Amino acid sequence: MMTQYPRLGESLYTKKLENGLTVALVPRKGFTRKIAYFVTDFGSIHTDFALDGKNYQMPAGVAHFLEHKLFELPEKDVTAEFAALGGNVNAFTSYDMTAYYVSCTENFQENLALLLEFVSTPWFEKESVLREQGIIDQEIGMNADAPDSQIFESLMENMYKTHPIRIPILGTESTIREITPEVLHTCHRAFYTPDNMILCVVGDVAPETVERIAVQVLGTEKKPAARKLRNWQEDMEHSGDSCRQMEVSMPTFQLGFKCESTGMGESAIRQEIIGDLAAEALFGESSPLYLRLYEQGLIDSSFGGGFESVDGCAMLTCGGDSEDPRAVREAILTRGAELAEQGIDEADFLRMKRSAMGRRIRDLDSFDSTAFRVCAYRLSDFDYFRFPQIYEDVKREELQAFLNRVVQPQRCSLSVIEPLSK
Amino acid sequence: MVQAFSLFPGVTLRCYRDDRFKQGCLSVQFVRPMKRQEAAKNALLPAVLLRGTKDYPDLRAITQKLDDLYGASVSALVRRVGDYQTTGLFCAFMEDRFALEGDQILAPMVQFVKKLLLEPVLEDGGFCKEYVESEKRNLILTLEAERNDKRSYAASQLLRTMCSADTFGIPRLGEKEQVAQIDHKNLYDHYKKLLSESMVELFYVGSARPEQVSALMKGIFGGFERDCSGMRIQTPFRDGGGSHARERMEVTQGKLCMGFTTPITNQSPQFAAMQVFNAVFGAGMTSKLFMNVRERLSLCYSIGSGYYSTKGILTVSAGIDTAKEEVVRQEIIIQLRKCVRGRITGAELNAAKEAILSSLRSVHDSPGAIEGYYSTAALSGLAMTPAKYMAAVEAVTVEQVAAAAKTVKLHSSFFLEGVSQ
Repeated sequence: MMTQYPRLGESLYTKKLENGLTVALVPRKGFTRKIAYFVTDFGSIHTDFALDGKNYQMPAGVAHFLEHKLFELPEKDVTAEFAALGGNVNAFTSYDMTAYYVSCTENFQENLALLLEFVSTPWFEKESVLREQGIIDQEIGMNADAPDSQIFESLMENMYKTHPIRIPILGTESTIREITPEVLHTCHRAFYTPDNMILCVVGDVAPETVERIAVQVLGTEKKPAARKLRNWQEDMEHSGDSCRQMEVSMPTFQLGFKCESTGMGESAIRQEIIGDLAAEALFGESSPLYLRLYEQGLIDSSFGGGFESVDGCAMLTCGGDSEDPRAVREAILTRGAELAEQGIDEADFLRMKRSAMGRRIRDLDSFDSTAFRVCAYRLSDFDYFRFPQIYEDVKREELQAFLNRVVQPQRCSLSVIEPLSK
Repeated sequence: MVQAFSLFPGVTLRCYRDDRFKQGCLSVQFVRPMKRQEAAKNALLPAVLLRGTKDYPDLRAITQKLDDLYGASVSALVRRVGDYQTTGLFCAFMEDRFALEGDQILAPMVQFVKKLLLEPVLEDGGFCKEYVESEKRNLILTLEAERNDKRSYAASQLLRTMCSADTFGIPRLGEKEQVAQIDHKNLYDHYKKLLSESMVELFYVGSARPEQVSALMKGIFGGFERDCSGMRIQTPFRDGGGSHARERMEVTQGKLCMGFTTPITNQSPQFAAMQVFNAVFGAGMTSKLFMNVRERLSLCYSIGSGYYSTKGILTVSAGIDTAKEEVVRQEIIIQLRKCVRGRITGAELNAAKEAILSSLRSVHDSPGAIEGYYSTAALSGLAMTPAKYMAAVEAVTVEQVAAAAKTVKLHSSFFLEGVSQ
């Protein structure tokens, strides 16, 4: 089905194929670049699941490990083939999804077929799994040196008691040692069935082309995906702050407020948009607080924040470099109380909405971001291009209620990294 | 097609008209010779201008104005292009046709840029002191934070090591010591000099007619006297001798950077062959370095090469286990020798070409990429459109790649040695 969005100058074709795969196409006439995102609803937090009547508990880091290993095929050098086709291929694993994507200007059909082939073909040799442990060790090492990752991971550990977002996406050096070809096969069977996946193409491509290739490579058989076991009880209180020392030039921090999980569908994106506006109203660049903190030298241009939503949890976060992260937290909490008392100005609210919507429209120029968002919102069962309508509908009172509820000391956790004491 | 207008002596506007995008962009760059004494000033200036104008006196007023313009953005633009450093602003804004009926974005945007550039907040014969001091602090922190990104730190230390006699070793944003010497008065003096003497490069991408953009931009630069003598053309690398440096730091992973020189620059007939060599050797996931040092030998997590075509400098940078330093160094040289001997498969050559061609083909797919390509090409002296450049790359043979590889000589290296915490 092709839906038009005249206000955005966009159209979106969507169809559920017989094998269960959701196909989405954003036609872009007159562009040479084309991009295909092949996404599975399976991320680092989905280690526990039930498949064929059996419960599994997989080692942390398995989704990311699997992402790396899928790039190997029995008689084909995937990387070299993409290179020969001029396809720029890459992948990432997040907390709640894994995405494989290829972008190209030529040979789109071949690139797409190869993308679908390597992602849907499990092929894990023992030695290569062992070698991969070495490569991922290095990646874990690199991550351990990256203050930004460390600070976020510590924050998640502070904020969540049972939700697996508290465990790093990469896993640890010991958990990845538990990963075997068999573990990888089971996870692949559990979550890489077309019924659990989305294929989104952005570019000057016909829908029939995409569908034909998807059926050719993935077949027509529909297999059910595993059932995720989400035994994550979380209240809205955090379990403390953290402070570590690393080789950094000045203290850097992340602050998080726990929010209720957004769930699915239109109410989910509405929550997300409200969350973004809340970040803007509280500490965004046009807020009085931002100006004051900036002028006091408590924050600099590295400061930023927003609303994050992951399967089963959500949070309002901000962070950056600061000589006094605790003072920034105090200022934000004080400002939150002030906003609750005085209320948000209607003119400010309208300006923030206009700005946020304009930025989303500009962002549609990016093929990557458009493909990613179409997929991510589809996983939450929402049609992304309907966002202008949501902006129009959102009321100031909803934003006010969100801020009053969320900006509370018991929901707020701080993660700091300080320079090594000499 | 790029249409160029000479608005005033030394002020060039280039327009790329395209109505496929949701947003337009505009860059304003004052072009300066890269110099140790002024690099930090040039880096600081746009940050100070973005703090306030007479009518929009603080950050909040500026952000609110941008919010009113449907979430437009203006940011500091500081580039290093060969012997030049540019300083100015980069703006991106939604196209007028997506705005509510009757609202305009482009014209008020240009008016706003004029205020940012020409109507700064002044006091006591200089810029606002508080703004200058706070942006100095920010710039120093940015320079210090470079240490947080070990890979870029090692890469910039390598360039410093290599370029003892060339300005190319001066970091894009200048140096901490130079920032400290700036005050609100000497920065203002520098700003006045920059307005009256510098060459100005303006670039617009979007759906507006070039004549309309030209008329709007004339309004910015028409109001004052300028005397701009032309800039010297780009010069090749000035070699002050190489060296091999190292530094110890408490990090898990070591960073090895090796610097090579070649007489081939973007002015040379062998330019395309050099680009293809760089791709075969070290750029991307099919390169010899990636396939051998990382994939086959598992000696590193990351490895890649880069070619600075204005100077003829090639760098290799790798994230490695500190204990494996020597073997990685050797392996990098072994892979270079393979290229020199022409031991390059047809698949390697094609993949390398395809990677370059693909990025050139998509230049016209985003406003930012269009601005980046054409405005940098104009400054670096690269007289090729993407189409010409592609034709040159397609024609490159293995022999030409080997000949280009042969000119590449190891010059210097920098090793950031990880010591355990």
